[in-house]
Amino acid sequence: MRALPLVLAALRRLAGSLGLLVGASFIIYMTVRLAPGDVVDAISPMGTPPEVKAQLAAEFGLDRDPVTGYAAWLGRSAVGDFGESLAFSPGESVMEVAVPAFKRTLTLCGLTLFAGLTIALGLAVLLGEPRPRQQLFTAPAYVLTSTPSFVVAVLFAQGMNWLIHAYVEGGGFETPIWYPIPIYADSIMPYVFAGFAMLAGDGLFMDWFNTLRAELLGLRQAQFITAIRAKGARTTGHLARNLLVPIVSSFAARLPLVLGSVVIVEYIFTLDGAGYVLLEASRLRDFPMVVGLSVLFTATIIAVGLAADLIRALVDPREVARGG
Amino acid sequence: MGGKGEVFALRFSGTVVAIVLLVGVIAPFIGYDPVSDVDYEAQLLGPSWAHFFGTDAQGRDVAIRLLKGTEAFFLPGLLAAAIALVGGALAGAVAGYLQGFGRSVVVAGLQLIDTLPRLVFIILVCTISNPSITLISVVAGLLFIPAIATVIRRKVEALGSEDYILAHVAHGFSPARILLYHILWLQCRPLLIRQATFVFGYVLFVETALSYLGDYGVQEPTPSWGNMVAQTRNLAGQAPWPWLFPALAIVATISAFLSFGNLVARRDEEAIR
Repeated sequence: MRALPLVLAALRRLAGSLGLLVGASFIIYMTVRLAPGDVVDAISPMGTPPEVKAQLAAEFGLDRDPVTGYAAWLGRSAVGDFGESLAFSPGESVMEVAVPAFKRTLTLCGLTLFAGLTIALGLAVLLGEPRPRQQLFTAPAYVLTSTPSFVVAVLFAQGMNWLIHAYVEGGGFETPIWYPIPIYADSIMPYVFAGFAMLAGDGLFMDWFNTLRAELLGLRQAQFITAIRAKGARTTGHLARNLLVPIVSSFAARLPLVLGSVVIVEYIFTLDGAGYVLLEASRLRDFPMVVGLSVLFTATIIAVGLAADLIRALVDPREVARGG
Repeated sequence: MGGKGEVFALRFSGTVVAIVLLVGVIAPFIGYDPVSDVDYEAQLLGPSWAHFFGTDAQGRDVAIRLLKGTEAFFLPGLLAAAIALVGGALAGAVAGYLQGFGRSVVVAGLQLIDTLPRLVFIILVCTISNPSITLISVVAGLLFIPAIATVIRRKVEALGSEDYILAHVAHGFSPARILLYHILWLQCRPLLIRQATFVFGYVLFVETALSYLGDYGVQEPTPSWGNMVAQTRNLAGQAPWPWLFPALAIVATISAFLSFGNLVARRDEEAIR
C-alpha cells in the first residue's frame, strides 16, 4: 500500500489548488468591484450603448451584492463562459479568442524555460566547481542578465535595425529570414528572439545556472554518492533523480515572473499571444477579455505549482512523509 | 566565499545605489520645464560639455531628463518597499508565532496573494481605474507581501525553538517585544534589506515597462526612463543617445539594487554564522 499516501496527498493538493483558484478569482472579482466611481462605466469602453452596459452589469453580477454576484459570476466562468469581447474582437466569446492566444504564449514560455534549463544544466555539468577565474565571467554575466527583459528586447530590436539598415544599403531587397518583425505570419524568428529576450533578461538564466551548479556540487560531495561510487556503480542516475527536485522547483518558482515578462516582450515583438491580447484589450478597455485572461494566467500558475508538487512527491517520497 | 571580487562588487553596487538615492532625493528640488526645454535648433546633438548625454529629437537635454526621470520611480519604489516590508514582516511574524488554525488562515491568505500573476494583476487594476504611479506602487507593494512574509515566517519558526528565545519568554518579555526587536530587528535585517532592494527594483521595472508601453506609465513630456527608451520607435537607426543612456541607466540601477541586496544579505549571514 505504498501508493495510498501518495494518492491521498495528490488529492489533498488538488483540493487545495481548486481552493486557491476560487480564492484568487474572488480577489480578481472584488478588485473589479472596487473600481472608483460607477463600476459599469469604469469597465466599459467609450461609447458603449446602454443595453450592452446593462448586459455587462448582469454578467458580472454588478446589480447584486458582492457575494451573490460573485457566486453567479463564478458559476458561469467555471464552465468557461467569460462573456463576449467588447472591443478587441467584438461579438466573439472571450474564450474563443483567449484560448488559442494563450496556447501560443504557453508554448513560447514552455519552450523558453525548457531550453534555458537545458543550457543551464549543461553548463553546470560542464563547468563543475566554481574556480576564481570563472568569476571573471560569471559575475558580470550575472549583473548583465538582471536587465529587464523588455530592455533586452528593445536593445535587440535596435541592433536589428542597424543590421537591416546595413543590409538594405548593401543592396539587399527581399526580407531576410533572420529579421524578427513578422512580415510573414509563419515566420518562427520573432518567437526565437522573444524567447532569447525572456531568457537573457530578468536574471533568469544566471539564477538557474547558479542554483543548479550549487545543487550539483552539494550532491557530488554527498556521502551516499561516495558510497555508490565506492561500490563501483554508476552515479549518473542517482544524480539525475536527485537533481530533478530542484529543477522542478525552480521551474515552478520562476513561471509567474516569466508570465509577467512575456506580456511585454510579446507586445514589443507583436506576437499575437495572450500577453499582446491582454495589453491591447486593456488599452481598449475590453473588460471581459482582461478578466478572462487574468483568470487564465492565474489558473496556469496554480496548475504548474500543482504539477510541480506532484512530480516532487513522485520523485522524492520524503515530500509526502513531511506532510506536504 | 568572499574574496576581493565580492568586496569590489559590494562597493561598486553600493556606490551606484547611493548615487541613485542621492539623485532621487535632490531631483524634486531642481526646476525643469519639459516644454520650454524644447529647442528645434538643437535636435539630436551628440554628447558635449553643454549637453553631457546629448539632446533628443526635440532638442531637450538628455542628462537633465535622466535626472528628473528618477522622480517617476523613486518615491513610488520607496512606498512599495515600505508597504511590502511592514506588511510582510508583520504577516510573517504573526504566521510564525501563531499555532494551529490562525496560522493556517494567515498562510492560506498569503498563498492566495502569491498566486496572482503580478504584472497581469497590475494591468487589470490599471484597466478599471485611472492609473497613477502611486496606485501601481501600492498594488505592487501589496503583491510582494507574501514573498517577504514566507521568508520571515521560516526564520521565526526556526528561531522559535532556540534556547535564548525561550529564555526571553521565561523572563516574561512580551511577545511583541520578542518578535519585533529580538527576532525581526536583530535577526532578520539582512533578509529585509534584500527583499526591500528587490521590491524597489521591481517597481523600477514596472514603471519603466509601463512608461515604455505608453498607456499607463508616465506620459510625455514628463520624463521617465521608460518613455525615454520608447523614443527608439521614432529614431530607427539615427542617433542612439536619447534612448541608449536611459536604457543603460535602467540596467545599471536594477542590477546594482539587486546585487547590492544580495551581497549585503550574504555578508550579514556569514557574520551571524
